Amino acid sequence: MEQLIDNIDILSFILTIALILATIGVYQFFAYLQSKTQLIWLNPMLLSIAAIIPLLLHFKLPFDQYFHSTQMLNNLLEPAVVALGFPLYQHLNSIKHQWKALGLLLVLAVILVIVISFTLTIVFIAIPEIAVSLSLKSITTPIGIALTQQLNGDTSITAFAIILAGLFGALLGPTWLNFVNVKSAKAQGLAIGAASHALGTATISKISYEHGAYGSLSLIVCAVITALVSPFLINNLTMLLIPF
Amino acid sequence: MVKNVFYSTSIIAICLALGKVIAAYLGGLPASLYGMLIFTSALHFQLVNPKKIASTISWIIQHMGVCFVPAGVGIINHYQLIKDHGFALVTIIFISTFILLSFVGLTYQHLVLNKKSCTH
Repeated sequence: MEQLIDNIDILSFILTIALILATIGVYQFFAYLQSKTQLIWLNPMLLSIAAIIPLLLHFKLPFDQYFHSTQMLNNLLEPAVVALGFPLYQHLNSIKHQWKALGLLLVLAVILVIVISFTLTIVFIAIPEIAVSLSLKSITTPIGIALTQQLNGDTSITAFAIILAGLFGALLGPTWLNFVNVKSAKAQGLAIGAASHALGTATISKISYEHGAYGSLSLIVCAVITALVSPFLINNLTMLLIPF
Repeated sequence: MVKNVFYSTSIIAICLALGKVIAAYLGGLPASLYGMLIFTSALHFQLVNPKKIASTISWIIQHMGVCFVPAGVGIINHYQLIKDHGFALVTIIFISTFILLSFVGLTYQHLVLNKKSCTH
């Protein structure tokens, strides 16, 4: 009996190591592929998810087992959020002279997108957890996922929605903004940072330095504003839109 | 180099630990976000040397994507949801993203930049 338990422990340990290494390996492969091809839509996160799902199905490995084994990677989300304090520090210095106008604009933008996303989801899909997830989709992934857990959303839907919002802004953002006659680099950077976080910002950084600087400023400030207003806003929207 | 990595990870660990204490007492934000704000304040008040942490932090930010993969794979449990509401889901994300892009872009360009050029 004891022997059996030992064997199970060793097996689950090997499985844990194998799944973590496989996840990192798959991700690194797609990250390498993207850096070689420079194609925006070859997003390593999206492709890793798309590659791992068929593998789990093929080996009949339940998601709970996979998630349990890769818990270590998921736990690194917390220190990753803390690390974002560094770009926040860098950008707070650069907006000292116009923080009132910028802050107000981004607060309004964050409120607008949360209200629109939450309301549309309640009306058309009518699942509160999904509404929470879609409300938090415009911000950078670690903070979006941390807030989703806090507000009882669904983290996998949030992760998926965040990637899509990023891809839309990265692929079509600059064209759309030129079309509606928003041509200044600062305005484009702010808009894409607010709507499409790091994914959009990484893409537009190639257009000009100013695009990248305003994009990363906007994405980090929007994430902080979202963290501050979303608990209050989403609680009130829930009470208003979901009568029991 | 090794010293800087150790320095950076220790600072992050301390900020996160303080964040957990604050979150336990105050609630409101997730612990990691309190940790982030503490980290920013520590840099602002020069308790932490930004030069020593810059390279480790940019390495972390560059590679953190892999940490979100397990959470994203959870979509596997939502086959029925995607089947029933996939189109609505993608459409809502699309529409709200473009409303946000337009709002921020147009407001900044027309109110902030134009106002500034008038006063100059």
